[in-house]
Amino acid sequence: MLANSAELFKFTRLTLIWLTLIFGSVWGACFIVGVLLPTLLLRACDNEIFALLAQICQYLTPLIAILVFIPINAMFMVLVERRGLALFTVRMGPNRVGPDGLLQTAADAVKLLFKEDIIPTGADAWLFTLAPIIFFAPSIFGSIPLLAAITGNNDLFAITNLPTGIFFIIAASSVPVVGIVMGGWASNNKYSLVGGLRSAAQAISYEIPLVLSLVTICYLNQSLNVVEIASRQTGGFLNWNIFGGGALNGLDKYLNALINGSSNANDILQAYYPSNQWILTVIAIAGLVVSTIIAFFMYITAACAEVNRIPFDLPEAESELVSGYNTEYSGIKFAIFFLAEFTNLFIVSSIATIMFLGAGNNPIPQFLIDYLFKNVTFIPQTINAITQALSPLINQIHLINPITFWSVVWMIVKTYSLVFFAVLVRGTLPRFKIDQLMDFGWKRLIPLSLLVFFIVIFAKGVINTNV
Amino acid sequence: MSNLLTRAKDSIYQVLRGLKTVAVHSLRIPTTKEYPDTMPPLPPHFRGRLALNVNPETNEHLCISCRQCERVCPDKCIEITAHKSPETNKLELIDFKIDHGLCMFCGLCTEVCPTDCIINTNDFEMADYSREALVYDIRKLTLTQGESSHYFAAKEIALPKPKPAKPVASAPIAPSIAKPVETKTEAKPVETKTEAKPAETKTETKPAETKTEAKPAETDTDTKSTDNESK
Amino acid sequence: MSTNLETTNLKTDEMIINMGPQHPATHGVLRLILKLDGEIVRHVEPVIGHLHRAQEWQGQNRTLFQYQALIDRVDYLSGMFTSLAFAHACEQIDGCQIPPRAQYLRALVCEMNRISSHLLWLGTFLIDLGALFGFPFYPFREREKLLDLFEEIAGQRMMFNYIRIGGVQRDPKPSWFEKVRKFTAEFPDRIDEYEAIVTQNPIVLKRTKGVGILDKSVAMDYGVTGPSIRGSGINYDLRKTRPYGIYPELNFEIPLGQNQGDTWDRYMCRILEMRQSNNLINQCLDKMPEGEISGKKQIAGLRIKAGEGFSAIESPRGVLGCYVISNGSDKAYRIRWRNPSFCNLAVLPSLLIGRPISDIMAIFGSIDVILPDVDR
Repeated sequence: MLANSAELFKFTRLTLIWLTLIFGSVWGACFIVGVLLPTLLLRACDNEIFALLAQICQYLTPLIAILVFIPINAMFMVLVERRGLALFTVRMGPNRVGPDGLLQTAADAVKLLFKEDIIPTGADAWLFTLAPIIFFAPSIFGSIPLLAAITGNNDLFAITNLPTGIFFIIAASSVPVVGIVMGGWASNNKYSLVGGLRSAAQAISYEIPLVLSLVTICYLNQSLNVVEIASRQTGGFLNWNIFGGGALNGLDKYLNALINGSSNANDILQAYYPSNQWILTVIAIAGLVVSTIIAFFMYITAACAEVNRIPFDLPEAESELVSGYNTEYSGIKFAIFFLAEFTNLFIVSSIATIMFLGAGNNPIPQFLIDYLFKNVTFIPQTINAITQALSPLINQIHLINPITFWSVVWMIVKTYSLVFFAVLVRGTLPRFKIDQLMDFGWKRLIPLSLLVFFIVIFAKGVINTNV
Repeated sequence: MSNLLTRAKDSIYQVLRGLKTVAVHSLRIPTTKEYPDTMPPLPPHFRGRLALNVNPETNEHLCISCRQCERVCPDKCIEITAHKSPETNKLELIDFKIDHGLCMFCGLCTEVCPTDCIINTNDFEMADYSREALVYDIRKLTLTQGESSHYFAAKEIALPKPKPAKPVASAPIAPSIAKPVETKTEAKPVETKTEAKPAETKTETKPAETKTEAKPAETDTDTKSTDNESK
Repeated sequence: MSTNLETTNLKTDEMIINMGPQHPATHGVLRLILKLDGEIVRHVEPVIGHLHRAQEWQGQNRTLFQYQALIDRVDYLSGMFTSLAFAHACEQIDGCQIPPRAQYLRALVCEMNRISSHLLWLGTFLIDLGALFGFPFYPFREREKLLDLFEEIAGQRMMFNYIRIGGVQRDPKPSWFEKVRKFTAEFPDRIDEYEAIVTQNPIVLKRTKGVGILDKSVAMDYGVTGPSIRGSGINYDLRKTRPYGIYPELNFEIPLGQNQGDTWDRYMCRILEMRQSNNLINQCLDKMPEGEISGKKQIAGLRIKAGEGFSAIESPRGVLGCYVISNGSDKAYRIRWRNPSFCNLAVLPSLLIGRPISDIMAIFGSIDVILPDVDR
């Protein structure tokens, strides 16, 4: 069955090494800017200006973390994509540069940086240069509010905990399309122009279902704050927003009480789901669960279109428009386009994780683990041993506490699973046509997302999720 | 409405079916052959670089300078220089050049060779830094005894009979590289001499003026091959 | 769906785009001069000839024996068929007998070549539709196996030079037949896999159903042949309508398009043809007689009698014709090719006008044009 275990093992090893690399360097950068530098500054001179500088350093930590994270992460994602596609197409993928092709994308990045930077004749040089910057910048400031949710509201990143986080992210994510249109127009190339215009049309149409599906979740959680939405999904997959956004909270608590043999199990059920109108309650719960699942898949679809992934990669349709809006770009400008594209993919995946898949929370409820492994003691023991082994890492390193650590770990697992799913989709599906894309967006997704939204509003009125 | 739902259901099912088929492929062993590390298994009749055989048993050069390959080559990339030895009155090979930059590896020369001297080897790594380096002379073309016996076995060619009392042709190859002009002039009289001899072949229907160069060569080699057969 | 785009009253300036010859999807060096109104194609002008290699002239200036090595280049994806057409024409003039084993070997390698050509078409067609990275590798994997088999008997993977005037070049070993059997045994499963991914995929259906409808009358007017015309429902396959070789002795059916002759029908036609070719290979292997493999001695001065002959065979792209006049010498006096791709390409403008840019590649891919075959 697992005939390909050698390649799968190599792939896993590669992923683990890269993840260590990414988060090690991000931690290092955060440590230097957030802890080491302020300490040194304060120790150097007890002075108001130095204290201010130290504070500024601490405030800058999230930005530094993102600036370090984005390029390395994009390299990793390109490698994952290439190796993943190689797995799906029964090939080996890049495996020459470094052990197992570990440094392939680093080499590619270096190559792109040293390539000649061409501005074509007749191109508008200013806009041509500005386009990649405008395309890339939102992925930096747009991902800032996510940091608080990803790190479990760590002290150093508390500054990124915006009360209207998701609103800010959506606003930021609609900026890049300006860069694409600008680049397409400035290139003085007809293919680029068509690509840029397609991109504009596509981004405008797919922003609506994307936002509506997120609004549904915000409404269910009564909050625009990503940290709060994340914290409401603690305690197992039944509390995730993808399963009704809190509609199954009561079930979760009831099961917990039932398994633990608690006497007040029925009281809990009664409190969450009043029995005097149980038909309505069941309908409402079913409606909520189904609607949120649909909302999740709608979000994934719209997000794919938003970041120009197959099957919605019309702005750079290779068989039609050569390479679309980035046909004329080379060297570092092309590298920035490339970087931003993969960062956007990562950002939409992490939004999906935070909004739908329980953010950094453990997917398996604790009571279930206790129940399942009641008789089999060695598995919890192994888990405990691993936790013990990791405890110096978790407890004794600066900046990291157990909450942050496990939150980041679960975020990584969930987000990269979604990224891997995007790779799988890329390996399977062909591309839409532009009119079909519009058709699908306006005639299918938008009505459906409105429908889902209304169902959620009415269903939420019936059951009380805020006990 | 129900139609819409059925279609949506079908679509999702078909997409998932495709995704599953692709995902299952990740469990199969890759078909990639990591080329420089593992050479591809080439069949014996693979048409690679051209080479000249020696007799696997006696190590004498098998080429009899019959020019069949030179004549049949569609690209005209083979150039044979030979002269008639004054003592034995037999053709003696001086140089054998193949321009591998011009060759299209059709293998016709190997089919017409009467002594199975010229063969396609399994070697295909011939990249070089200049076009001149792709012109192989007899020293680069001639295989060793071991290689020859390997190809004779792999291609299932019958081993040649050792030639009776003929000077070893592979010996005088050294001077040809240094002075190609001289050997050319040396070769010319041989051709003109043989041209004069057979006057009976006049089968060409439309002899264009430009073909006069090629025609005597044909008649020349025709007589040569019949010579060999009679011998 | 796309008709909605057409009926808008909004008219803008027409934009002229040169699609090709340097374009990732024009299958080589086709150049299309497009006049676009928005994304709708208003006028198409295919410019051909970038790959002209004077194949006919070369044939008249080389001996027949030499030219046999060159004709694989006429259509490099189906070299066996071009060789076969030329050999048939020459044999018709010469009247030489072809041994039955050679006949069966010819049919066998031709059907294998048909599969390999269709496999390459399948991969590139999906690339044209936009599935760039995943699926197209699968057909190429199977094609690789076929090319390895060709390499073993002919010496090269694409320029075979295997079918000769009077027979074939080399008698394969029994182990080779075993390998072919192994391939045919597992190939239907592979087609099932392709079909699981492609055939009913909603995006593929949306992009191909009702796109590029080739009317029966239009197809016949332009002289379209091969799977393209069979997709329109016209039963015209020379293997049945004007049988040659040993095809009368084989048992097979011609797959036809089920609907109105759109891109999807042509796709389906080729998929079914691959299954049918697989079946034909098995039949050839079962019936393979023993004996000689060539009725004419393969020597450098290969000559045929004086006269003229025309042969037409069913290549993967359609009717491939070869017309040879010989004056009895070792060179042909005149050679003329009738290439299916050239005639099929002629119908392209009438299919493209009024369609959006995205359909260009879907339609162009579906009629399976190969540029060296167009330009010769």
